[in-house]
Amino acid sequence: MHHSSCAEVEETLKRIQSQKGVQGIIIVNSEGIPIKSTLDNSSTVQYSALLHQLLMKARSTVRDIDPQNDLTFLRVRSKKNEIMIAPGHSASLLTNTLLLFTLAEKLKNIS
Amino acid sequence: MAQLADVEETLKRIEAHKGVIGTVVVNAEGIPIRTSLDNSSAVQYAGLLQDLTMRARSSVRDMDPQNDLTFLRIRSKKHEIMVSPENNFLLIVIQNPCE
Repeated sequence: MHHSSCAEVEETLKRIQSQKGVQGIIIVNSEGIPIKSTLDNSSTVQYSALLHQLLMKARSTVRDIDPQNDLTFLRVRSKKNEIMIAPGHSASLLTNTLLLFTLAEKLKNIS
Repeated sequence: MAQLADVEETLKRIEAHKGVIGTVVVNAEGIPIRTSLDNSSAVQYAGLLQDLTMRARSSVRDMDPQNDLTFLRIRSKKHEIMVSPENNFLLIVIQNPCE
Protein backbone atom coordinates (compact mmCIF):
# COMPACT_ATOMS: atom_id res chain seq x y z
CA MET A 1 0.00 0.00 0.00
CA HIS A 2 1.70 3.18 -1.09
CA HIS A 3 1.27 6.69 0.18
CA SER A 4 -0.65 8.79 -2.35
CA SER A 5 1.25 11.80 -3.54
CA CYS A 6 -0.25 15.22 -2.95
CA ALA A 7 -1.13 15.49 -6.63
CA GLU A 8 -2.92 12.15 -6.67
CA VAL A 9 -5.00 13.10 -3.63
CA GLU A 10 -5.90 16.41 -5.27
CA GLU A 11 -6.86 14.64 -8.45
CA THR A 12 -9.02 12.09 -6.62
CA LEU A 13 -10.81 14.84 -4.72
CA LYS A 14 -11.43 16.75 -7.93
CA ARG A 15 -12.84 13.63 -9.55
CA ILE A 16 -15.19 12.97 -6.65
CA GLN A 17 -16.18 16.62 -6.39
CA SER A 18 -17.11 16.72 -10.07
CA GLN A 19 -19.60 13.86 -9.72
CA LYS A 20 -23.17 14.92 -10.08
CA GLY A 21 -24.78 15.69 -6.74
CA VAL A 22 -21.61 16.00 -4.69
CA GLN A 23 -21.91 19.00 -2.41
CA GLY A 24 -18.60 18.77 -0.62
CA ILE A 25 -15.75 16.73 0.74
CA ILE A 26 -13.89 17.05 3.99
CA ILE A 27 -10.87 15.03 5.03
CA VAL A 28 -10.29 14.87 8.76
CA ASN A 29 -7.36 13.37 10.56
CA SER A 30 -7.50 10.89 13.43
CA GLU A 31 -8.17 13.71 15.91
CA GLY A 32 -11.11 14.98 13.89
CA ILE A 33 -9.27 18.04 12.64
CA PRO A 34 -10.11 18.94 9.05
CA ILE A 35 -7.02 18.87 6.89
CA LYS A 36 -8.68 19.43 3.55
CA SER A 37 -12.10 20.66 2.53
CA THR A 38 -14.07 21.89 -0.44
CA LEU A 39 -16.58 23.63 1.83
CA ASP A 40 -16.35 27.04 3.46
CA ASN A 41 -14.38 27.38 6.67
CA SER A 42 -17.15 27.63 9.24
CA SER A 43 -19.12 24.72 7.78
CA THR A 44 -15.95 22.67 7.65
CA VAL A 45 -15.16 23.28 11.29
CA GLN A 46 -18.72 22.60 12.43
CA TYR A 47 -19.32 19.50 10.32
CA SER A 48 -15.93 17.97 11.10
CA ALA A 49 -16.51 18.21 14.84
CA LEU A 50 -20.05 16.82 14.70
CA LEU A 51 -19.33 14.02 12.30
CA HIS A 52 -16.08 12.96 13.91
CA GLN A 53 -17.97 12.53 17.19
CA LEU A 54 -20.69 10.61 15.41
CA LEU A 55 -18.08 8.40 13.78
CA MET A 56 -16.50 7.62 17.16
CA LYS A 57 -19.92 6.74 18.56
CA ALA A 58 -20.74 4.51 15.59
CA ARG A 59 -17.43 2.76 15.90
CA SER A 60 -17.89 2.06 19.60
CA THR A 61 -21.46 0.89 18.94
CA VAL A 62 -20.17 -1.71 16.51
CA ARG A 63 -17.48 -2.82 18.95
CA ASP A 64 -19.90 -2.97 21.88
CA ILE A 65 -22.05 -5.41 19.93
CA ASP A 66 -19.05 -7.47 18.84
CA PRO A 67 -15.50 -6.62 19.97
CA GLN A 68 -14.09 -8.49 16.98
CA ASN A 69 -16.04 -6.37 14.53
CA ASP A 70 -15.14 -2.94 13.23
CA LEU A 71 -16.88 -0.09 11.44
CA THR A 72 -16.06 0.18 7.77
CA PHE A 73 -18.54 2.79 6.51
CA LEU A 74 -21.32 5.04 7.74
CA ARG A 75 -24.10 6.60 5.72
CA VAL A 76 -26.29 9.28 7.23
CA ARG A 77 -29.28 10.03 5.08
CA SER A 78 -31.50 13.02 5.70
CA LYS A 79 -34.30 14.77 3.87
CA LYS A 80 -31.97 17.06 2.00
CA ASN A 81 -28.76 15.12 1.59
CA GLU A 82 -26.63 12.12 2.39
CA ILE A 83 -23.36 12.08 4.24
CA MET A 84 -20.99 9.22 3.63
CA ILE A 85 -18.24 8.66 6.13
CA ALA A 86 -15.28 6.47 5.28
CA PRO A 87 -13.30 6.10 8.49
CA GLY A 88 -9.55 6.00 8.59
CA HIS A 89 -7.62 3.20 10.22
CA SER A 90 -5.00 3.97 12.79
CA ALA A 91 -3.16 0.75 12.00
CA SER A 92 -2.58 1.52 8.35
CA LEU A 93 -1.29 4.41 6.28
CA LEU A 94 -4.89 5.44 5.64
CA THR A 95 -5.40 7.24 8.93
CA ASN A 96 -7.59 10.02 7.61
CA THR A 97 -11.36 9.91 7.45
CA LEU A 98 -13.27 11.04 4.40
CA LEU A 99 -16.55 12.90 4.78
CA LEU A 100 -18.60 13.09 1.62
CA PHE A 101 -21.69 15.28 1.33
CA THR A 102 -24.10 14.58 -1.49
CA LEU A 103 -27.63 15.43 -2.46
CA ALA A 104 -30.20 12.89 -1.33
CA GLU A 105 -30.74 11.41 -4.75
CA LYS A 106 -29.07 8.20 -5.83
CA LEU A 107 -25.57 8.50 -7.17
CA LYS A 108 -24.57 5.83 -9.62
CA ASN A 109 -20.89 6.50 -9.99
CA ILE A 110 -19.62 6.74 -6.45
CA SER A 111 -18.35 3.34 -5.38
CA MET B 1 -52.31 3.59 10.35
CA ALA B 2 -50.92 0.19 9.39
CA GLN B 3 -52.83 -2.84 10.64
CA LEU B 4 -50.94 -5.24 12.83
CA ALA B 5 -51.23 -7.92 10.16
CA ASP B 6 -49.67 -5.61 7.57
CA VAL B 7 -46.79 -4.84 9.89
CA GLU B 8 -46.24 -8.52 10.58
CA GLU B 9 -46.35 -9.29 6.86
CA THR B 10 -43.87 -6.54 6.04
CA LEU B 11 -41.44 -7.71 8.69
CA LYS B 12 -41.72 -11.31 7.50
CA ARG B 13 -41.03 -10.17 3.96
CA ILE B 14 -37.92 -8.32 5.10
CA GLU B 15 -36.76 -11.28 7.15
CA ALA B 16 -37.22 -13.63 4.20
CA HIS B 17 -34.92 -11.47 2.07
CA LYS B 18 -31.62 -13.07 1.21
CA GLY B 19 -28.90 -12.01 3.60
CA VAL B 20 -31.13 -10.60 6.31
CA ILE B 21 -29.87 -11.75 9.68
CA GLY B 22 -32.59 -10.19 11.80
CA THR B 23 -34.93 -7.32 12.52
CA VAL B 24 -35.77 -5.33 15.64
CA VAL B 25 -38.62 -2.88 16.09
CA VAL B 26 -37.87 -0.48 18.94
CA ASN B 27 -40.42 1.76 20.66
CA ALA B 28 -39.90 5.28 21.96
CA GLU B 29 -38.64 3.95 25.30
CA GLY B 30 -35.88 1.97 23.60
CA ILE B 31 -37.61 -1.34 24.21
CA PRO B 32 -37.67 -3.93 21.43
CA ILE B 33 -41.34 -4.71 20.79
CA ARG B 34 -40.83 -7.18 17.99
CA THR B 35 -37.74 -9.01 16.86
CA SER B 36 -36.51 -12.06 15.01
CA LEU B 37 -33.38 -12.10 17.15
CA ASP B 38 -33.00 -13.60 20.63
CA ASN B 39 -34.13 -11.31 23.41
CA SER B 40 -30.79 -10.24 24.81
CA SER B 41 -29.38 -9.37 21.37
CA ALA B 42 -32.53 -7.41 20.58
CA VAL B 43 -32.23 -5.44 23.81
CA GLN B 44 -28.59 -4.73 23.11
CA TYR B 45 -29.19 -3.59 19.53
CA ALA B 46 -32.17 -1.51 20.62
CA GLY B 47 -30.32 0.39 23.32
CA LEU B 48 -27.11 1.00 21.41
CA LEU B 49 -28.76 1.96 18.16
CA GLN B 50 -31.31 4.23 19.75
CA ASP B 51 -28.37 6.11 21.25
CA LEU B 52 -26.48 6.28 17.99
CA THR B 53 -29.58 7.29 16.04
CA MET B 54 -30.27 10.14 18.45
CA ARG B 55 -26.70 11.31 18.00
CA ALA B 56 -27.00 11.10 14.21
CA ARG B 57 -30.29 12.98 14.28
CA SER B 58 -28.93 15.79 16.42
CA SER B 59 -25.86 16.04 14.19
CA VAL B 60 -28.09 16.47 11.15
CA ARG B 61 -30.19 19.11 12.92
CA ASP B 62 -27.14 20.94 14.23
CA MET B 63 -25.84 21.22 10.68
CA ASP B 64 -29.23 22.38 9.41
CA PRO B 65 -32.21 22.90 11.73
CA GLN B 66 -34.61 22.43 8.81
CA ASN B 67 -33.19 19.04 7.98
CA ASP B 68 -33.94 15.70 9.60
CA LEU B 69 -32.49 12.20 9.68
CA THR B 70 -34.28 9.69 7.46
CA PHE B 71 -31.97 6.65 7.43
CA LEU B 72 -28.76 5.35 8.90
CA ARG B 73 -26.51 2.62 7.50
CA ILE B 74 -23.73 1.25 9.61
CA ARG B 75 -21.45 -1.01 7.67
CA SER B 76 -18.93 -3.15 9.47
CA LYS B 77 -16.60 -5.98 8.53
CA LYS B 78 -19.13 -8.65 9.42
CA HIS B 79 -22.45 -7.14 8.40
CA GLU B 80 -24.54 -4.03 7.83
CA ILE B 81 -27.05 -2.49 10.20
CA MET B 82 -29.79 -0.33 8.71
CA VAL B 83 -31.84 1.92 10.93
CA SER B 84 -35.05 3.55 9.82
CA PRO B 85 -36.38 6.05 12.37
CA GLU B 86 -40.05 6.96 12.24
CA ASN B 87 -42.22 8.68 14.86
CA ASN B 88 -39.84 7.89 17.73
CA PHE B 89 -39.80 4.22 16.69
CA LEU B 90 -36.87 2.49 15.07
CA LEU B 91 -36.83 -0.28 12.54
CA ILE B 92 -33.49 -2.05 12.68
CA VAL B 93 -32.48 -4.54 10.01
CA ILE B 94 -29.21 -6.43 10.15
CA GLN B 95 -28.00 -7.95 6.94
CA ASN B 96 -25.04 -9.55 5.25
CA PRO B 97 -24.50 -7.28 2.30
CA CYS B 98 -24.31 -9.06 -1.05
CA GLU B 99 -20.88 -9.00 -2.64
